Amino acid sequence: MTLSRPLQLVRDTGTEADVSREPRSLLVHAAKAGDVRAFAELVDAYYARCLRFALHMLSDRSDAEEAVQDTFVRLHRALPKYEEREAFEPWLFRILANRCRTAGARERRRAEVVEYGDVPERPSAPGHDNAIAWREEIGLAIAALPTDQREAFLMRHVEDLSYEDMAVATGAGVSALKMRVKRACDALRLRLTEVSGE
Amino acid sequence: MSEDRDELLDRIVGALRPLPEGHAEAKARVLIAVAAERERVRRSPARATQRGRMTRWIAGAAGLAAAAVVAAILLLQPSRSYDASVGAGSSSPAVRVAAVAVADSVARLASRDPAGDAASALQPIQLVFRAPTATTVRVVGDFNSWDGEHAPMTRDPRSGLWSATLSLRPGRHVYAFLVDDTLLVRDPRALAARDADFGRPGSVLLVGRP
Repeated sequence: MTLSRPLQLVRDTGTEADVSREPRSLLVHAAKAGDVRAFAELVDAYYARCLRFALHMLSDRSDAEEAVQDTFVRLHRALPKYEEREAFEPWLFRILANRCRTAGARERRRAEVVEYGDVPERPSAPGHDNAIAWREEIGLAIAALPTDQREAFLMRHVEDLSYEDMAVATGAGVSALKMRVKRACDALRLRLTEVSGE
Repeated sequence: MSEDRDELLDRIVGALRPLPEGHAEAKARVLIAVAAERERVRRSPARATQRGRMTRWIAGAAGLAAAAVVAAILLLQPSRSYDASVGAGSSSPAVRVAAVAVADSVARLASRDPAGDAASALQPIQLVFRAPTATTVRVVGDFNSWDGEHAPMTRDPRSGLWSATLSLRPGRHVYAFLVDDTLLVRDPRALAARDADFGRPGSVLLVGRP
């Protein structure tokens, strides 16, 4: 299969993937067959979502970008073994979640030996925008969740994966995943109710 | 277990949903990393031994035969060489050097034992690129795993020309210029690579034997 459209590798609009693109299953099929343009289209289509997930998992831009890059390198390596009867997105998120867990564990080990003093400054000026403060509080609340709960919450409510797809992506059972999501929601509500002024 | 989405949870999810912006460079780096991975796999010793000596010999002969055609065209049309891109007084541009060297390689090919492939001395190749407004220009290609850290170009402030001299092994190389760490640009004065990886622009450089 040959894709005729030119690729845009360095121009980016930062918006959701164009719905007029080749159907994803065709792209995956072509990429698996070795079509490098199709693979580049897959990167184009999924990069932003993968980066969003990694950013929320790792809370650090460079760590997140590294995890996503590693994900696509591993995806490319594993594509020949990909069974097309499997859904692609859960498969992609399985690789991504694994990379994020590895990067998160590495970061935790690094943090254990860092002295105090590197605590990032948080804006506290009176004119500080409430919306920014709200996003920061959410970021802190998400970061405070246990890794498995954070991962399950993001997959379910931010990435809109079904529980069946989450089971493929995480290797955990559906019941366990539902429990993780519920606990994450409860923890977020508890922490953020006061901040939100409710 | 029900999933009761209340207003607070909707606000939380709404704040987490916007896609991150400003990742064009990172996306380009992903494609370069994947291309480098492909190149590593392609050149791994295990795969090379699987192909067998005869396959390599046929492929090498075919490649050099094609290169000979390119070399002949370039040699017969010196005005299409790199002369226009280098500073005044320079007269040994990359393509012409490569063309001469490749033609010489083809001549050697007929009398060479395939087992002699190991002799592959590095050749100095100068690349020149005009980009007066660029802040940085690097050469990336299959010879440095598309990693520009190893091949920064030097700018001539008077002419706006960027140049770098690389040490390359004989053979066919695909390369491009990485401008301001963002934009991959094909060498406008060299042949376009038909097998440009991941839609990435690429130019062909043929390096012959000394």
